[in-house]
Amino acid sequence: MAELTVVGKPVTRVDANEKVTGEAIYGYDLVLPNMLYGKTLFSTKAHARIKRISTEKAKAFPGVVAVVTGADVPWTHGESIKDKPFLAQGKVRFIGEPVAAVAAEDEDIAQAAVKLIEVEYEDLPVYVDPEEACKSGAVAIHEDFPKYRKVDFIVPGAHANIAEHFKLRTGDVAQGFKESDLVLEEKYFVPMIQHAAMEPHSAHAQFDKETGRLTIWVANDAPFRALHEIAEALGMPKEKIRFINPLQGGGFGSKGGLKVEPIAVALAFHTNGRPVRVKFNREETFISTLTRHEAVVYSKTGVKKDGTLMAREMTIYWGAGAYAEKSPTVCIRGSLPAPGPYRIPHVKVDGYAVYTNKPVAGSYRGYGIPQGAWAGEQQMDEIAKRLDMDAVEIRLKNIFVEGDISYWGEQLHAVGLKETLTKATEAIEWGNKPHQIKPGVKNGKGFACIQKPTRSPTTSAAGVMVNTKGDITVLAGTVEIGQGCNTILSQVAAEELKVPMAKVQMHPLDTDVIPYDASTTSSRSTYHMGNAVRRASIHAREQIMEAASPMLEAKTQDLDCVDGKVFLKDQPQMALTLGEVVRRKFGPEGVVRGDGSYTYEIGKDLDLETGHSDHASAFYMYATQAAEVEVDEDSGRIRILRMSAAHDVGKAINPLNCVAQIEGGVVMGIGSALHEEMVIDQTGKVRNPSFLDYHLVTSLDTPELISIIVECAEPEGPYGAKGLGEPGLAPTPAAIGNAVADALGIRIYDLPLKPENVYWAIQNKKKKDAA
Amino acid sequence: MNQKIQFTLNGKSTTMEAPTHRLLLDLLRDEIGLTGTKEGCGTGDCGACTVLMNGKPVNSCLVLSGELEGASIVTIEGLKIGPELDAVQNAFVRDGGAQCGYCTPGMLMMSKALLDENSNPTEDDIRFALSGNLCRCTGYAKIIQAVQDAAAMIRSKNVQ
Ligand code: FES
Ligand code: FES
Repeated sequence: MAELTVVGKPVTRVDANEKVTGEAIYGYDLVLPNMLYGKTLFSTKAHARIKRISTEKAKAFPGVVAVVTGADVPWTHGESIKDKPFLAQGKVRFIGEPVAAVAAEDEDIAQAAVKLIEVEYEDLPVYVDPEEACKSGAVAIHEDFPKYRKVDFIVPGAHANIAEHFKLRTGDVAQGFKESDLVLEEKYFVPMIQHAAMEPHSAHAQFDKETGRLTIWVANDAPFRALHEIAEALGMPKEKIRFINPLQGGGFGSKGGLKVEPIAVALAFHTNGRPVRVKFNREETFISTLTRHEAVVYSKTGVKKDGTLMAREMTIYWGAGAYAEKSPTVCIRGSLPAPGPYRIPHVKVDGYAVYTNKPVAGSYRGYGIPQGAWAGEQQMDEIAKRLDMDAVEIRLKNIFVEGDISYWGEQLHAVGLKETLTKATEAIEWGNKPHQIKPGVKNGKGFACIQKPTRSPTTSAAGVMVNTKGDITVLAGTVEIGQGCNTILSQVAAEELKVPMAKVQMHPLDTDVIPYDASTTSSRSTYHMGNAVRRASIHAREQIMEAASPMLEAKTQDLDCVDGKVFLKDQPQMALTLGEVVRRKFGPEGVVRGDGSYTYEIGKDLDLETGHSDHASAFYMYATQAAEVEVDEDSGRIRILRMSAAHDVGKAINPLNCVAQIEGGVVMGIGSALHEEMVIDQTGKVRNPSFLDYHLVTSLDTPELISIIVECAEPEGPYGAKGLGEPGLAPTPAAIGNAVADALGIRIYDLPLKPENVYWAIQNKKKKDAA
Repeated sequence: MNQKIQFTLNGKSTTMEAPTHRLLLDLLRDEIGLTGTKEGCGTGDCGACTVLMNGKPVNSCLVLSGELEGASIVTIEGLKIGPELDAVQNAFVRDGGAQCGYCTPGMLMMSKALLDENSNPTEDDIRFALSGNLCRCTGYAKIIQAVQDAAAMIRSKNVQ
């Protein structure tokens, strides 16, 4: 490969300037001409039949233009199970479910009118615990579940509230446990948390009766999928729908799917062509948008005395909340690798996505990996302790290496796990473990390993245009959610067209003109869209070379391209700028456009009975993170002193950006480890829907962060790249849990590790020791 | 009830009518059209809406328009000096202090307030000053580094 000039370099972000000046326009900032303001009435009941809704008073309120309820919009949507109405129909299934909406001349009027809508409910039993919700006798939260439209791979469970039952069957776990010298069995719990992107949710919509077109402006991380879902729900041709993406103020998985969009769309059909904006405030964002799956994980592991893993059996209840959203795929892709990145001959996993009467769980940075790792990686440490083995040593004995066949039957390649393990543990001086430095404070170290698949198979397509000035415009459907894709994709185009970064710009995201992209999720963009932009850039370059060939009187193979110029390899002074070539060939307004598309084709589909697949993911991300903590024995307070994170990224297209992704992911993970939880009472009410009561990590709480990039090239990836958006978060809680156990000699099974939980664990141990 | 208010906004004298209960944040974003100041919570818990009021950082979601009479307000749009970025803006660009950028205007205004008072802050000073400004993307490390770098830039300028 020729030497890379832009790829692999620490290029600063291309979008930094507009962000530091306040010029960047986010979805929440957008004002449209003649716009109306929408407000939503949310359910106050977690599970109830709607006996009556009356909207007369709201409709009569001066300044109100439209009031809609479920009766006006008889549509349902859902990524893999079509179970969610645009507005509640007949019943409500969680507190915060949109029931009705108002569009008015201003926000105050809309809010006042919402208060005038009367709803009469008849209570039904409320389920807040996923295990309870699928016990026999529990009533169906979705009576019509069997009738819902579903995608092919859905396997409903035995109970009506199990939306998906994932099964993995390898070997014979009973036999494996029999052959083991030690068998451990424990229950772990991960609570519901929220993405808490700093920009709350909003959507704008407009329906033009004359053209029959529906336009939606929304910071959605998967506009093409959202477009598809709306088209399907409404029975509208896709060409009649257009998504325009303003900038997105963070997402972490929360901004895919449909949340505010259906409300804006419902109103837009009743406003006589005027656009309507629906904004959720922070509290509404907390109760009505998406959350991360709470999970109850039962893990049973058998090992030989020498630490060789023999069998692992896991049963995971994924709390889906009131609607399926992404639960089936979180259940599948989170349960599949939950036993961890290890060679295990006998494996059995049952993952259940269970409906409850809580806010809807969706995709969340890490997509099910943190929950499995919280259980599996802590149990690995517990086993090491019982066998009196070093935690690194037991991992080294069992971890996946190049060429291993995974327990789901896939031969693995580009496995950089071992290097991440060695480097992350070395970075915190693993071998050197002082347990007490200050009186009353215990120190400990711990780490965790993960392997993460990406959504497969999927497609990304891109266009690259070169104008007569030699400016490059990239058309790509990857959404800049803060992760830095605009910089990465610009680097790819600059690399392939051999132009300086300043010559490249990204086209705004508009589904009318931008080629298809599956989604900005699952850490898939650098790999998939990187490949697509690379192909499109090469396609454009080839056209330019071909056009330049007669101009320079040379064969294309004798031409080269550097620094925005095409020239003769052996006579570099014979050169034309890219822009000049375009102008001469296509005239003063001419443009060369290259197109490229990349689809990862899955090998065999996941077998629904065994969970086996010979190629379940386009690529796998591998990481190890290690933490050093101190725990105050009197208060139970944990302080993280330093945290290392070694990630196999395949190839770092932009090392600066890699570190940015790692640091952000690690710190988000620290929040979920130490204090984040959505506190939901027995009635299904979220008790802490504000930043005052739901604690995010602040600038006071972050430890020293040591980011380590490991490059084990993925042959199919652009320049060898994999992905990195999610894995920074995934092993963080388990690494901290292991460090706390090391410090205290106490294993804590439930997240978060908030001071009171740690305090009581210490007290209980003291009592036990005394007895 | 509408009331006439007069205040200075980014160096310009501004007169307008607004209900006394209107929040400064809404006034800036909805009435004046300066959307650089962000809304993250509306309840004083995130710092995204930070602006300078008479040189001091405030959460604009907690300031009523009735309090504005005679005040001097500086928003993110007023941070540039002519076409030049302020030192702290420059440092955020260089160090990667902004990812999604939604917390960035608030972070910058808070940092500006800190640096105006103390151009030689310790790391702890910076962490403390920014502790009311939430960022969900960066993990804060690059932000803290950017403020340190901005401080160094300011000091070296002052020496010159
Ligand atoms: S919007 Fe003002 S503090 Fe959050
Ligand atoms: S950069 Fe996204 S919240 Fe700070």
